[in-house]
Amino acid sequence: MSTLSTAVETAPVELVASHLHPVGTFDLDAHPMPSGREEVWRFTPLKRLRGLLDGAASDAHLRWKVDAPEQVTTSRLSTEQVQALGVVPPVDRPAALAVANAGGAVLIDIPAETELDDPVVVHLSGDSADDLVWGHVVLRTGRHAKATVVFEHTGSARYAASTSVLVGDGAQLELASLQLWDDDAVHAGHVGITVGRDARVRSISASLGGDLVRLVETAEYAGPGGQVEMYGLYFVDAEQHIEHRLFVDHNQPRTRSNVDYRGALQGTGAHSVWIGDVLIRKVAEGIETYESNRNLVLTDGCRADSVPNLEIETGEIVGAGHASTTGRFDDEQLFYLQSRGVAEADARRLVVHGFFADIIRRLGVADIEARLLAAVEDELELTVGRPRIPTEVLT
Amino acid sequence: MSAAEAERDGFVRVCALADLRDDEPLQVDVDGTDVAVVRVGDDVYAVHDECSHANVPLSEGDVEDCTIECWLHGSRFDLRTGAAINLPATEPVPVYPVALDGTDVYVGTRPTT
Repeated sequence: MSTLSTAVETAPVELVASHLHPVGTFDLDAHPMPSGREEVWRFTPLKRLRGLLDGAASDAHLRWKVDAPEQVTTSRLSTEQVQALGVVPPVDRPAALAVANAGGAVLIDIPAETELDDPVVVHLSGDSADDLVWGHVVLRTGRHAKATVVFEHTGSARYAASTSVLVGDGAQLELASLQLWDDDAVHAGHVGITVGRDARVRSISASLGGDLVRLVETAEYAGPGGQVEMYGLYFVDAEQHIEHRLFVDHNQPRTRSNVDYRGALQGTGAHSVWIGDVLIRKVAEGIETYESNRNLVLTDGCRADSVPNLEIETGEIVGAGHASTTGRFDDEQLFYLQSRGVAEADARRLVVHGFFADIIRRLGVADIEARLLAAVEDELELTVGRPRIPTEVLT
Repeated sequence: MSAAEAERDGFVRVCALADLRDDEPLQVDVDGTDVAVVRVGDDVYAVHDECSHANVPLSEGDVEDCTIECWLHGSRFDLRTGAAINLPATEPVPVYPVALDGTDVYVGTRPTT
């Protein structure tokens, strides 16, 4: 056999030359210190990550409190055990450092064929932005299980985390991550979702607090027929940086994905970044995907970066599309509401509520929906004042 | 200005005047913020050490005619006012007050613009 034909036979068919999407690995050396000019880092103020790229050892932890039905178990895994599970490897340096420094992971296990009546709520809270915390979490949803899992971050810390989500064949998972940090918190990390055959995952991310939040969420499929929905909302105040990077890897046929992130910005120096990418591999025939990002700029001095990408390697698909909008209040919507006798401040509030409530109502956990709407109301107080209409009426 | 006076007025010592060579920027730390300090003749200027367009330190760029150039895309900023002179930058960079006591350079912790 000639050298050439050997090379042809062994070259990976699915190797894609692209700088757009992250390639995960547990090898820390493959995640070098960024200079800030790399495509994936150019929007992030690196200094404000305050040590999450340096990787100093730390044994500080966030306080954990898990409210879960009795079928759900939590246990400790070594890093080797996590890798053996076949999770998506970390795609950026903070997540890789989190794996390297956390000294093992916490496994939250929802057994196969289990249908949970109540949500699993993981409360994570920190005391001070002086604490450097490395976190490593694995969430496993067994075959044909049905569950809702909420991660809630409060207080303050400098927190980098690697979160692996394994969703078994035919399982249905509702996943929510709430970033309700204090003003000085720093949070970076990667959530890597593996979607089983015919499984369905809906992931909602809400980032309202923190000085800097930079979250990467990736999804790939372990079999055909899986479905992923990624929804997000963020409210960015003055001098706050909130960055969401989404990547869906359609590596299996007849899979579906839908991404919809919405944000509002207010105050000088408010900066949001949304990067969406969908890769449709050659094998992914019959897939359907759409991603969308909408930004509402409430004051001068804000900056919203929004970049949707599509990498298409087969045209034998049902559909693929994306959309991105960034703008201020729609004058016609305000004019309409005012023409019906609604005062301007209330009209502005209604428009923002409509914008966000559409995402929040997809969560399906009533008390958390109410808390998020109240949090949006608190944010709006900065620019439009308190409501004269009770929030309950709006929902 | 004495060291005590400088501290009282919100200035910090960043380097000796002898450390600065004409038209060669120096990156210094002022209260946790990176500032580019530049000597032009007998004057010393200080601007926020990040281009207002992209995440690039201005102190790595060239200085000419009292302007500092971002090496990545070529925007120039007036060292006196911080104003962006040419595209792609459109926003000014913050300018910091500078005080000299003969041998040392002091930079204010709050930008003037």
